[in-house]
Amino acid sequence: MNPRVLIAKRVAQEFKNGQLVNLGFGMPTQASNYLPEGVTVMFHAENGLFGVGPRPSAKEAKADITNAGSEPVTLMPGAAVMDLPTSLGAMRAGVLDITVLGALEVDQEGNIANWAVKRNGKWWPGPGGAMELCYGTKDVVACLMHTDKSGESKVLKKCTLPLTGKHCVKTIVTDKAVFSVGNHCLILREHAPGITLEEIRASTAADFVVADDFCEMKV
Amino acid sequence: MSKFGNKVRSMDEALGCIPKTDARIMMGGFVGAGEPTCCIDWLIEHGITDITLLTNEPGLDGFGRAMLYKNGRVKELISSHVGTTQESTEEYLKGNIKVEQFYPMGTWAEKVRAGAVGLGGVLVPVGVGILDEPGLFADLEEPKEVIEINGIPCFVEAALRAPFGLIKAWRADEAGNLEYRYTGVNCNPIVAMACDYTVAEVEEIVPVGTISPDRVGTAAPFVQAVVKGLSLAEHDEIYRQHWLRTGKLVEE
Repeated sequence: MNPRVLIAKRVAQEFKNGQLVNLGFGMPTQASNYLPEGVTVMFHAENGLFGVGPRPSAKEAKADITNAGSEPVTLMPGAAVMDLPTSLGAMRAGVLDITVLGALEVDQEGNIANWAVKRNGKWWPGPGGAMELCYGTKDVVACLMHTDKSGESKVLKKCTLPLTGKHCVKTIVTDKAVFSVGNHCLILREHAPGITLEEIRASTAADFVVADDFCEMKV
Repeated sequence: MSKFGNKVRSMDEALGCIPKTDARIMMGGFVGAGEPTCCIDWLIEHGITDITLLTNEPGLDGFGRAMLYKNGRVKELISSHVGTTQESTEEYLKGNIKVEQFYPMGTWAEKVRAGAVGLGGVLVPVGVGILDEPGLFADLEEPKEVIEINGIPCFVEAALRAPFGLIKAWRADEAGNLEYRYTGVNCNPIVAMACDYTVAEVEEIVPVGTISPDRVGTAAPFVQAVVKGLSLAEHDEIYRQHWLRTGKLVEE
C-alpha cells in the first residue's frame, strides 16, 4: 500500500461518531476518504465553515463555497458558515474534537513543528491557523513519514524547528508505526504491515516503550 | 458625507485618494476567495507601490493579491502566512517583502477585530513560549510582551487598523449596507470596520431597502464607498475554469 494512503486510512480510525473534525492539508485531508463504517463526522474549514461536504460537480461549483485551500466544496445538511474570528475562536476555545495535522517533526514531549523551515535564512511559510488548532483542540493527531529522504528519524527526542504546539500531540501516525504520547516518552502501539519492531527501533530517535498490546495496524 | 447617503462610486472616484507610495492598506479575502480583485487590478494599473499590506494570508497563486507581489508592489506584509502564493514566497525569499513577525491566524483576526471595535488590543494565549523565543523573529526590536491573567500567560497584542480598507461582499445597497454569501464572508466584516476609509467591491448594487436588515453583514456606516466589480456569474466562471485547470474539478 502507498505509505501516504496507509497513513490516511489509519488516521481515519481515530474519528468517532459525531465529532467536529479539522483536517490539515495533504495526507490529513485524504483521511476523509476512509471514514470507518458507521462513523459520521462534521468537518470544519478554518475559513469559516462547519459541515464541509464533498467536492461538487463542475456545474455546481460556486466561487463563494470554498474550503481553507480555496477549493470547491459543498455544504452538508446542518452546515453553518461563519466569519473568520468565529471560526478561529472556535478552534482556540476547544470546540473542535479532533484535528489531524501533517508534521515536519514531532517529539516525545508531544511537541509538533509544522509551520516553518529556513529558506534563504528566513522562516517560511508561516503558521496560518495551525497554532490555534494545537492550542485548543482536545485531540491532536500528528501524521508524517517516519523518516526524511536520507533516512533520519522525524520522530525526535526534541524538535529542532520552531514549534506549532507544545505538549499537545496525543497520537502520532507514521508509515511505520502508531505511537501515543506518554509521560516524557512515547508508547509504541502499532506497527505497519511488514514493519518489525527492530526496524522501528532503528529508525526512531525518540525514546519509547512498547505497549503490552502492541500489534499490527488494521488497515 | 452622510453615513447613509449614496456611496456608489467609479473605481477612480473611490480609489483615487490612495497615495501612490507607502499606503497602508488592509484587505479582506481568504486564499483567493472573497477578495476585491477589481480594486487590486486598479492599484496595479495606477502604479500604487510600496504598500504595507495587512491581510489574513497572502492569497492564491495567479489571482488578486498575488498580482501585487508579482508586480513588486508590496514592501511589507502583516499576516499569518507568506506561502499561500508562489508570488509572495518568491518576493519574500528575495528579501523584497518585509515580514516583521508572523501572527497566528486567529491572533491576526483578533487584532483586527480589536481595531474594528475601538479596543487598544487583546490578550492572546496562543503561541506563548513559542513565538517569544529569543531570536525567532530577527526584525523584532522588542521581545513580545507576556502578561498573566486568570493564571494564563498571554501575549499583549495591539489592535490593528489601517487608513484604507478594500473588501469584497456579494451585494451592497446604494448606502453601503453589505450582504455576504457563504464563505465569501471570511474576514471582510472586521476589515471593513478596522479602516478609516473602506471601499466595498460588490457583485451587485441594489436600491436601499432591498437587503433585509437581518441579512446586513456590514452596516452602511462602516463603508465609505461602493464599487461594482465582477458579477456573481463571472466569478463562478473564473473559479470554475481555475479549478478545472488545477484538477480540483472534473469536466463533465
